[in-house]
Amino acid sequence: MVHALREVHRVLAPGGILIDARPDSRVAAYAERRKRRGFQRFGVVNTSRRELSNDRASDRAIARAVHEGMFKRRRRGRFWHRVPFGSLAELRKYLWEHLRFVRRARWVVDEATRSRYANEPFVVRRAVRYEILERVTR
Amino acid sequence: MSIDAAGPVGEVGRHVPAFSSALRPRPGDELAEWGGPALVLGKRVLDLGCGDGRFALGVASFAANVEGLDPDEEGIAAAKKAARKAGARNVRFSVGAAQRLPHPGGAFDVVILSWTL
Repeated sequence: MVHALREVHRVLAPGGILIDARPDSRVAAYAERRKRRGFQRFGVVNTSRRELSNDRASDRAIARAVHEGMFKRRRRGRFWHRVPFGSLAELRKYLWEHLRFVRRARWVVDEATRSRYANEPFVVRRAVRYEILERVTR
Repeated sequence: MSIDAAGPVGEVGRHVPAFSSALRPRPGDELAEWGGPALVLGKRVLDLGCGDGRFALGVASFAANVEGLDPDEEGIAAAKKAARKAGARNVRFSVGAAQRLPHPGGAFDVVILSWTL
């Protein structure tokens, strides 16, 4: 990754910017039922161990590029993004098949509640982080 | 603030961590979160790991020109097809790796790693 960042530094014009955006695995994602107004939290969805490791490696690569004087940090932030599903079964299938998250949510509502609303729309709400870095002329 | 994905997930993006277009925010929404179109307005933009070109095409109307690069040949083929369909004339896609960029030094004002690192 550091090698790729060196290439980014090379192809950027002086004062150019690098935008790094990716899912924020430092905070949990949530399984939520879409209500007429707003959302109801049904469960917490953690990031898989493998993806946590990948994300930390990316963080280290950026930190090293900054430490080596290739870039300076200008601004960073986080926003939330919702991935929609037609039912609870679809959401569960998504969690089972995707590598980013652990396969099962940690439910915060009881089974009766999950059954009652199983056929209503659900979302996975997850955090996305971004950072804007400026190319430094060495 | 929360923003929604482009549409229901369906079968798209199976067996990949999170990078499928359908699972990601709309380009305009993502750009707005980063600071708005001014970030790329009139700029030479490189979208590294562009996949099917979702983001590159999304910012093309603001940028002077956009290059999309991705090692996935199928993704680049889809991106080229989408660019033709959209009539985007200032976007170019090619297969390649971030570790060896086929561009001269100082060729871009903005490099975007959107869900790539």
